[in-house]
Amino acid sequence: MTRTVNPWSVARALLLWVAALTVTLPLLWVALASVKSPAQLNDPGLVLFVPNLDNWARVFEAGILEAAGRSAMVAAVTVAISVVAGSMGAYAISAYKAGGAATRFGILAAQVLPPAVLVFPFLTMAYALRLDSTYIPVIFAHLSFVLPVITWFLIGFFDAVPRSLEEQARVDGFSRFAAFRLVVLPQVLPGIGAAAIFGFTLSWNDMFYGLILAPTQETILPVAIAAFNTFRGVELGAMSAAIIIAVVPVVIASFFIQRRLVQGISGGAVKF
Amino acid sequence: MAEVRFNKVRKEYGSTVIVDDVDIVFPDGSLTVLVGPSGCGKSTSLRMLAGLEEISGGEILIDGRVVNGLEPKDRDVAMVFQNYALYPHLSVLENIAFPLRATKSRRADALRRAQEVADSLGLGALTSRKPKDLSGGQQQRVAIGRAIIRQPAVFLFDEPLSNLDAKLRVETRFELMQIQRRLGITAVYVTHDQEEAMTMSDRMVVMREGRVAQTGRPDEIYARPNSVFVATFVGSPKMNIVRGAISDGAFISPTGSRLAVAQAPARDAVVLGVRPDDLLLTANSGGTARVALIELLGPRAIVHLDAGEDRLTSVVEADRLSELTVGTSVDLAVRPGALHLFDPQTEHRLPEV
Repeated sequence: MTRTVNPWSVARALLLWVAALTVTLPLLWVALASVKSPAQLNDPGLVLFVPNLDNWARVFEAGILEAAGRSAMVAAVTVAISVVAGSMGAYAISAYKAGGAATRFGILAAQVLPPAVLVFPFLTMAYALRLDSTYIPVIFAHLSFVLPVITWFLIGFFDAVPRSLEEQARVDGFSRFAAFRLVVLPQVLPGIGAAAIFGFTLSWNDMFYGLILAPTQETILPVAIAAFNTFRGVELGAMSAAIIIAVVPVVIASFFIQRRLVQGISGGAVKF
Repeated sequence: MAEVRFNKVRKEYGSTVIVDDVDIVFPDGSLTVLVGPSGCGKSTSLRMLAGLEEISGGEILIDGRVVNGLEPKDRDVAMVFQNYALYPHLSVLENIAFPLRATKSRRADALRRAQEVADSLGLGALTSRKPKDLSGGQQQRVAIGRAIIRQPAVFLFDEPLSNLDAKLRVETRFELMQIQRRLGITAVYVTHDQEEAMTMSDRMVVMREGRVAQTGRPDEIYARPNSVFVATFVGSPKMNIVRGAISDGAFISPTGSRLAVAQAPARDAVVLGVRPDDLLLTANSGGTARVALIELLGPRAIVHLDAGEDRLTSVVEADRLSELTVGTSVDLAVRPGALHLFDPQTEHRLPEV
């Protein structure tokens, strides 16, 4: 008995392996590099060696955890504002067609602007308002891309909530806003959770705005990582350790929200 | 408890008129059914009364108070939607108690009241379940429970039974009527199902194209429909409608029908309506109509007839089927006093003869 092998499924499996390795191999290499000595780093192929934690000690000493804490704070504030404003905006667009059909996708229009266009107005405003030593300018800059994405992401979730729920709550004695808060919002909580994690990742990963708008001495994580590229050369080992610290939370978060993430992105894209 | 009144109520979307200067009175404590084909404005009228649609013109009064500008929450109405609109994240008990959250009542009191209501609707054992774990009929009861807990001034029902299967629909129909009678709360009930309207209503409002076609007790409307539309909309099987002329005690249509109508005076052009129950058949080999199809309904049967190009229906007792089979020729006559005549131009009912 011969087993027939579908050439397409073989091709698909191959493609998936290539994609998976493309993503994981560099991460693996970074993880290895973070426990190598400077001499071992010169041999990228070296896999069997005695690991040491010098690089990790070095990044902790350089305050990487504090930078990560600041990044987390910036991301958390950005996401908190975005979720509150975004859920209300998304419901308005979904249920009341606020702004007409154009808003549904037009809301993402700002995404095509290169950050370089926005960063100097932000910087000028930050100086004028004496906010340049705070994280407020970074948070506002992050809101410029996190808020629209979260709003767009949530529209599809709100589309799935029957209008009659809000109407029922209004007849049952509640104001429009109370109906939204007590009845509509609870139906989309999973979507809001996914949107929050997604938005957190976007903010967490941003380097450009942080580099220019965050206080220079107490900067945020991506900028702190870049700081290991010193005038004496790149401290590859230390940088690798810092990168692992930055990447791991994102990987864990993505794992938990992957299903909702697909739902949000396709729901927002397919429904008109 | 309250009387509800529509004074020249109007609803327009752009240039489309959905509800056209409608006047309706819903007497205190009555169950009034708004019935009509889809697009007749019945649901829009109900939603305007609930406050979910703005009113383009005219006034709606509840208990003498104009409610046009009021939010739904300030109108003291309760509503049951077609899809029940149960809150998916709340248990049965919390769903029923939900309207009390908007009032000042304490949570413990609200839940106790909700438990009483649930018990009275036979939901006592299900109170901790979520709506998705209930059958359609149970969901329907929860929606009713949520509507009655607050003792509103007016009940609004928007096709509440159309998602139930036929058997359950009939049972729930009577249950709803009993609840409404017991509480004595004015109820406005929207449906497209004329049978539901006939059986449930104290008063029936037949609507068509944004206007009221006829208002009255169901038996009045059935007995004296004021237009061809109402005549064919109300009653099942549908009333036979034929155009023709009456002379010498017989109605003759150019399309070939011939009916004996002893009591009617001569007329050149007329629309004749006769309910299937009132169309009498006599087997006669020389008859002008022929039995085309027989649908047996148990004790009675619907007989479809070919009369020239006209198709007529008659309802007969099943024991007569021995003399009536497909192909039998018959003479047609109208039961005395059961003739409906309409003006051929306006399609309005002609004055009684």
